[in-house]
Amino acid sequence: MTTWIDASCILIVFLALTMLATYRIVGIIKIFAAQSFVLGLTPFFLHADGLTIRDIVIAMGTIVLKTAFVPFVLLWAMRHVSMRSEIKPIIGLGTSIVFGAMIIAGAFWVSLSLHLPGKPISDLMLPCSLSTVLLGFLIMVTRTRAVTQVLGYLVMENGIFLFTLSLFDVMPTLIEMGILLDIFVAVFIMAIIVNHINDEFERSPASVSRSKMGEAF
Amino acid sequence: MLAILILIPFICAFLVMLPSTKQFKGKLFLLVTLLHGLIVASFWKVLPAPEFDGFIALDQMSLILMSIISLLFLLVAVFMLGYFEHEQRSNRKLIACLLALLSTMTLSSVSRHMGLLWMAVETSTLFSAPLISFHRNRDSLEATWKYLLVCSVGIALALMGTFFLAIAAHDVHTLLLSEILDKASSLSTNWLKLSVIFLLVGYGCKMGLAPMHSWKPEAYGQSTGMVAVLMSGAVTQCSFLALVRVGQICGKTGLADFYSSILILTGLLSLAVPALFILSERNIKRAFAYSSIEHMGLLVLGLGMGGVGVFGALFHMINNALAKVIMFLTAGSIAQKYGSSRMDEVRGVIHIYPVTGTFLISALLAGTGMFPFATFHSELMILNAAVISRHYVLAFFVVACLAVMFIGVARIVLDIVHGQPTEPVLEKKENFFMNSAIVAAIIGLIGIGLWMPAPLEKILSAAVLIANG
Repeated sequence: MTTWIDASCILIVFLALTMLATYRIVGIIKIFAAQSFVLGLTPFFLHADGLTIRDIVIAMGTIVLKTAFVPFVLLWAMRHVSMRSEIKPIIGLGTSIVFGAMIIAGAFWVSLSLHLPGKPISDLMLPCSLSTVLLGFLIMVTRTRAVTQVLGYLVMENGIFLFTLSLFDVMPTLIEMGILLDIFVAVFIMAIIVNHINDEFERSPASVSRSKMGEAF
Repeated sequence: MLAILILIPFICAFLVMLPSTKQFKGKLFLLVTLLHGLIVASFWKVLPAPEFDGFIALDQMSLILMSIISLLFLLVAVFMLGYFEHEQRSNRKLIACLLALLSTMTLSSVSRHMGLLWMAVETSTLFSAPLISFHRNRDSLEATWKYLLVCSVGIALALMGTFFLAIAAHDVHTLLLSEILDKASSLSTNWLKLSVIFLLVGYGCKMGLAPMHSWKPEAYGQSTGMVAVLMSGAVTQCSFLALVRVGQICGKTGLADFYSSILILTGLLSLAVPALFILSERNIKRAFAYSSIEHMGLLVLGLGMGGVGVFGALFHMINNALAKVIMFLTAGSIAQKYGSSRMDEVRGVIHIYPVTGTFLISALLAGTGMFPFATFHSELMILNAAVISRHYVLAFFVVACLAVMFIGVARIVLDIVHGQPTEPVLEKKENFFMNSAIVAAIIGLIGIGLWMPAPLEKILSAAVLIANG
């Protein structure tokens, strides 16, 4: 089972890196859906001694919300916005990948000094979740389109969710479902605002607010 | 009872979405807030029992926050009756979101599970976002986007912090606050330290502490006065409650000094940053937003100082909320009358609207902590904590920042109040409902400034014991 979890972790980071290197927004949404699907499958491999109902609920919840609903909402938002690809990322795609690789190396290095209490399910879970969170953050701060920034936020959330799986016994299912629902509502509201923004600006304002947003980080 | 208190506003949020008149929605909102207020007032006599296996429970700390939330919503509901007499836009989405916000904020004030608390704070962020873009113009949408993104990242970091806390509390097997506090000695200190940093940055982002404050001037500047009141007086203070809860855990695990030092540092930064920006500000709502950053800084500073500072900080929660009512409702009233809140376009308010002009002067005094407003006393207590602990340089720095803030806010307010009217404005009558909400806040703030009722002192003292762990 650990082999499967390791494979999922690597795939999740790989897909996050692919998102960083993708130009077309629809493409990024599709890769995000694929990443969420892999993430949704991970709970199935958590318990070697058989599946619990909880594993199934969390897995199905993730797959339905993040692989189906969220990409659907984002694609719906895209239909109303007259743009298909990232115009001017703050840093070029090639440079982004180099930064991404550095982030992954950094995350693995930091993870060496962090020890999870108890018996870890997989040694790759912590470094991979940290890498995904940081890659999501990188997408968010280097892209100018509002939809891509939302996707960066979602990749961050996926990284955090991967991290949650290592804490399966501490969080009650209800809270986990609540967190999932929150993320869905967040995306929904963001999509509506992207639409309103488009009505008002004809194009996304995220590039306008970029410089000011930079102050926050 | 607590579950009912959370559910009523949530159900009514759906009711408001059904077709009905503007007046009906306004009155329903008032009714719900009144009912909420009455139930919360009954808790001052007897605290209700914990519900859902202790996931939601009310202690004195929660009661203070819940009372603030209830009071602010009630005052806003009264103000809104008058506001929508002059407003063409529909109040349907606004009231639905406000009711949902009331529900989620009530939940965050009573959450005793750190995961549930995160969920409640996150949901309140989501429901407050559409409120900012009520006017739906270019600037307000940009402000909403900025608020959503900055706060979402912040709240994601807080989630990460919550998970680090879960790792630290691996042997406790739950994130229920009472259990964590009971078995505090089994917590892993290294993971807890990491968790504390993430939680402080995350919830600090939501509170608008410097340097995570960049959304605040935009959001408060673009939203209506009513929304700004609820965000600055209630939503941000829910995150402060989360920081108090983190402090409780730190107090039990020997990390109190570590936590205090980062709280003091963040507090000082939140006092310094607005002082730097206020002098070049020309918009009254944005100026009040900077004042709000300063007040949040005072809250965490008081909490970090310990001793009388904690009492001061908790007292300041109430005073800050009432001061924000006076400040933002008056600013909102002016923005509606003049269609602007910039000092270049609004001048000589007292000549045309004498009552609103007087309110604005009161807003200046209340917001900058002048006697006889209670903000003066709570700020003095926080300052006192610095002097008692012999942090003289720190105390001097706080006074200097407060002085600069006073000069900055006074410059704008006095210009707007006493300046020469630029052009004759159509004579409009002052509105009874709008003014009575502001008057109630002024009376309340002066009242507790001159005389603190015994029940309030008792609850505050009990809350201080809780906050100190």
